[in-house]
Amino acid sequence: MKLTTLKLNGLRKKTIAVSAALAVASLSLVSLTAGAASNPGFVLYSAQGYDQQAVDAFNATHPGFTVTLKDDSTGPLLTDVQAEGNNPKWGALWVDGAIPFAHLDQIGMLVKNSAPKVAFNTLGKANLPADGSFSPTGVTETGVLCYDTAQVSASNLPSKWTDLLTTQYALGMNDPSVSGPTFPLIAGVFSKLSNLPFNATTAQVKAAITKGEAFYQNIAQKTQGGLVVNPTNGVTLGAMQNQAVGMATIQGSACYSKTLGSYKTLGEKYLDASMELPGVIGIDAKMPAIVRADAAKFVAWLYTPAGQLAMRTGDPTGDSLFWPVVGSTLANPIIPNITTTHPYAINPYTWAPYETQINNWFDSNFVG
Amino acid sequence: MNVIKAKSFTENGLDTRRKFSFGSIGVWTALFLLIGAPVLCFLTLGVSPRLFQQGPEWFTLKYVHEAFQGFAGRAIFNSLWVATVVSIFAVSIATSMAWVIHRTNIGARRFWAVAMWLLLLLPTWMMTLGWTDLLQPVGGLQALGINCSYIYHEFFGPLGIVVVLTTAALPFSYFIITAGLQGLGPEFEDAARIHGANKIQTFKTVLPIISPAILSAIAVSFAETISDFGVADTLGYHAHFPLATFILFKAISSYPANFSVAAVVAAVLILSIVPPITLQSRVMRKNTFAVLSGRTRTPRVREFRKGPRVLATTIVATVFVVAIGVPVLGAVMTSFISGQSFYGGHLHLTLLYYREIFNPPSAGKSLGTPLLLSDQLGFVVASCTGAFAVVMARRLVTKVGGLSQRITDIFLLGSIAIPGVVLAIGYIFFYNLSFITHHVINLYETLPLLIIALIASSLPGQTRFMAGPVSQIQPSLSEAARVHGAGRFTAWRTTNLPLMSRVLLWGWLLTFTKTISELAIATILFPPSQEPASVTIQNYLANFNTGAGTAMTVMTLLEMLGIIVIALGIYRLVTPRGWRRIGWRGIQS
Repeated sequence: MKLTTLKLNGLRKKTIAVSAALAVASLSLVSLTAGAASNPGFVLYSAQGYDQQAVDAFNATHPGFTVTLKDDSTGPLLTDVQAEGNNPKWGALWVDGAIPFAHLDQIGMLVKNSAPKVAFNTLGKANLPADGSFSPTGVTETGVLCYDTAQVSASNLPSKWTDLLTTQYALGMNDPSVSGPTFPLIAGVFSKLSNLPFNATTAQVKAAITKGEAFYQNIAQKTQGGLVVNPTNGVTLGAMQNQAVGMATIQGSACYSKTLGSYKTLGEKYLDASMELPGVIGIDAKMPAIVRADAAKFVAWLYTPAGQLAMRTGDPTGDSLFWPVVGSTLANPIIPNITTTHPYAINPYTWAPYETQINNWFDSNFVG
Repeated sequence: MNVIKAKSFTENGLDTRRKFSFGSIGVWTALFLLIGAPVLCFLTLGVSPRLFQQGPEWFTLKYVHEAFQGFAGRAIFNSLWVATVVSIFAVSIATSMAWVIHRTNIGARRFWAVAMWLLLLLPTWMMTLGWTDLLQPVGGLQALGINCSYIYHEFFGPLGIVVVLTTAALPFSYFIITAGLQGLGPEFEDAARIHGANKIQTFKTVLPIISPAILSAIAVSFAETISDFGVADTLGYHAHFPLATFILFKAISSYPANFSVAAVVAAVLILSIVPPITLQSRVMRKNTFAVLSGRTRTPRVREFRKGPRVLATTIVATVFVVAIGVPVLGAVMTSFISGQSFYGGHLHLTLLYYREIFNPPSAGKSLGTPLLLSDQLGFVVASCTGAFAVVMARRLVTKVGGLSQRITDIFLLGSIAIPGVVLAIGYIFFYNLSFITHHVINLYETLPLLIIALIASSLPGQTRFMAGPVSQIQPSLSEAARVHGAGRFTAWRTTNLPLMSRVLLWGWLLTFTKTISELAIATILFPPSQEPASVTIQNYLANFNTGAGTAMTVMTLLEMLGIIVIALGIYRLVTPRGWRRIGWRGIQS
C-alpha cells in the first residue's frame, strides 16, 4: 500500500474521531436537568434592561437558592405567561406597565399582599395596588414627546396634548398591540382628555374612549400621514432617524438613552401629562410555597440599597433611567425632577378590560 | 443466500410489509409528537378556547368569523396572492437558472452554484435588514452621498415584499429542480432529436421528466412563502400591507392574547397548501420518474458562443447581485459605518460595533455564548433531522404507499406552511399540559424541547429536499445487494448511501444554518439563561442598537460559511473518492 494512502487513512480516522467527539459534546445538550433540589429557586421572567445585573448581584449574596433569569421582550414573555395558563413555569414576572398585572390579578394568578413592607415614596404609593398583588420597582414615563431637531423646530413643538391637533408636524407613535408601553399611553391620553377620576365609572370610561378615539382620528386626518405608526420604541426612533417622522410620543427612557448615544439630534419634551409607567414585579400564585417564598425574598431585596444600585447602574443608557419608588433613593441625574414632567397615573384595573377593544380599533384605523 | 418473498417487494424495492410494521407505527408516533399533537392543540383553540383555559366557550365559530373580517381578512387574501405570485416567479427563475448553470458553458458556473447556497442560508429577516440598511434615507447609500429615496419608497410596498420573498424561495426551487435535472441525461434529448424534434419539441419532450421536481418546487415555494414571518413583520408592516403571518403574530403577542383567531389564521395557511400538494401527488403517481442510477451519464453541456455566453453570465450575475449582493452589502456597510456619518456629512468608518460583539456595553450581551449554543443546537438538530428525513423521503416516494403515503405527503407539505410561531406556541400548549408535565415528561423550558421543536420545523423541508434525489435512485441497486445476501441496512449503506452522500451533507448544512438563524421558535421556547444567537441579535436590533446588531448578523453569517467550509473539507477527507463522482451534487461544475 502506498505511503500516501496510509497517511490518508490515518487522517480519515482522526477526522472521524474528532467529528464523533464533537457529536458527543453536542449531545450533552439533550440531557435534562437533575431532579428537584430541596430548594429549587425560581425562574424570573423579565424584560428589564438591568435584570441580569440584578439577578447576578442577588445570586452572589444569597446562596440558599438560585434565581434563573429568562430575559426577553415584554411581548414574548406575556405570550409565554398566557400560553402556560394554569401550569406556569415563572416564579416572578418583571416588566414595565401595571395593566397586564391587573389582569393577572383579576384571574387569580398573583400572590396577594406580596408587596414588601418598605418605605415607598409618593410615586411608589401611587402605583401600589390596594391588594398588594404586585409591586412597583421604579417608574418611567410614556407619552414623552421625543423629537429630532434636524426636522422640527423646538420652539414650534406642542406643549399640550390638544396642541397635537393643530401642530404642523406629523406624529409618530408605537403600535399598542406590539409595544407594551403604548396601551398605557393611549389609556392615559383618553383619561387626560376627559379628566377622568382615578376610579372612574364604566360610563365615564366609555365616554372617554369615544372622545379619545376621535382625538387620534383627527390627528391622523389632519394631513396625509398625520399619524405614523411603528411597532416599538426602537423602530419609531429608527423612523425618526430616517426622517419618516419628526416627533413621536414614546417611552421617555428610550428617548434619553439615545441622547446619550449616537443620535445626537434627539430631544425630549414633556407635554401637560406624561403617563407613569411603573416597572412592576409580581409573584406567581400557582407556584409551591417554597418558590413563592424565594420570589418574595428577591422582590424584597430589590428595594435594598444593593438592589437599587444594581437597577440604577445595570443599564445606564436605557432602563436604569427611572425614578425610584422607595425612600430617598436618587434618580440618575440625567433625568429631570419628576415633578417637572407632569406625571399622570392611570388606574390599571379600570383600563385592563378595554385593552383588546382599543387595540383592535387602533389596528383597524391606523395600522392596516 | 437469503430467500426473498416475492410479494414482499415492489418494483422499486420497498418493502410493502412496512405499512403494517412497527417501524411505520414508530414513524407516525414520532410525527404525531413532533408536529401533529402540538399543532392540533393549537388549532383546536380556534373553535374550543376553553379546552386550554383561553376562553369561556367549549365550541364556537365566532373566531372563524373574526379572522375573516377587515384587517385580518385582507391579510389572508394578501398572503394567498403573494405566495402564488412568488412561487411562480421563483420556480420560473430557478428552472432557467438551473438549466443555464448546469447545462451550459456559462462563465463562473461553480461560483453561481456556491452563491445559490449562500442565498439559501440567508433568512428573510436578514435580507430585509440588509435592504433596509442600504436604502433607508439614513442608510448606507445615503452615507455615500447617493440619493435613493425613490427606490426606498417603492421598495417598502408589495414590490419589495415580492422581490425579497422570491429571492428567498429561489434556492428552494433551484435545488429541487437541479436534483431533477441530475437524472436527465443526454440520452433523452438525443432520442427526441433523432426522431426529428426541433429544440422546442425536444424541450417539451424532456420537461415532463422533471415535472415532479417543478411541482415540488412550486409547492415548497408556496408553503415557504405563505409561512414566512420575517418579511411580514418588517416590509409588510411598514407598507401597510398586512400579511397573514403578521396578523397571527399580533393575535398571539397582544395582551390579552387572542390565540383563537391566531389558530384560525394558522389553519387557513395550512389548508392553502392542499391544492399544490394534490396536483403534485397526482402527477407523481401517474408516471414513474426513476431515471437516476449508478450508470446515469454525465449531462452534456451546451456550448454558447462568446456573445450569448457573456449575456447569460450577466443575467445570472444580476440575479445574484439583487438577491445576495444588495442585502449583504447593506448589512456589511452598516456594520462599519459610524452613526455620526449621517449627521456630519463625512463618512466615518468604525470597528466599534465589532468590538461590541464580544465586549458589549454594560447592559448588552456578548454574542460568544449564544453563538456557541446555536452551533451545538445546529449540530444536534441537523444530524437528527437528516436521519429522520431519509426515512421519511423513502416513504414519500414509494409508489405502493397507498393512503398512508398520501397522508404523509399532505402532512409533510402542509407542515412546511406552519409558521414557526404556531409550532412554538403549540409546543407550550401540548408539552406544558399538566398531565404531560406531571405524569409523562417535563420538557417545557428545557433545551431538549427546543431541539425537538427545531427538528419538527426542519423535517418537512428537509424531507422534501431529499425526496427528489431519493425518487431517482433506481431500486435495482438495492435489490441486487439484497439478492447477494445483504441485509436491508447493508444494502442501503452500500448502494444508496454513496449516491446520497452529498445530498445528506448539503441537507445537513442546510438544516444546520437554518437552525442558527431560526428566530420564531427560539424566541418562544429558549430555556431561561440559554439564549440562542438569533434571539440575542434580534434584541439588539429591536432596541435600536442597529450597528451592533448588524455586526453580529455579519459575524454569524461568516461563522456559518466557516462551518460549511469545514464540513465540506471533512466530507472530502472521510469519503471514498468514488462517492464524490456519483449521485446528486450540491455544487457541480
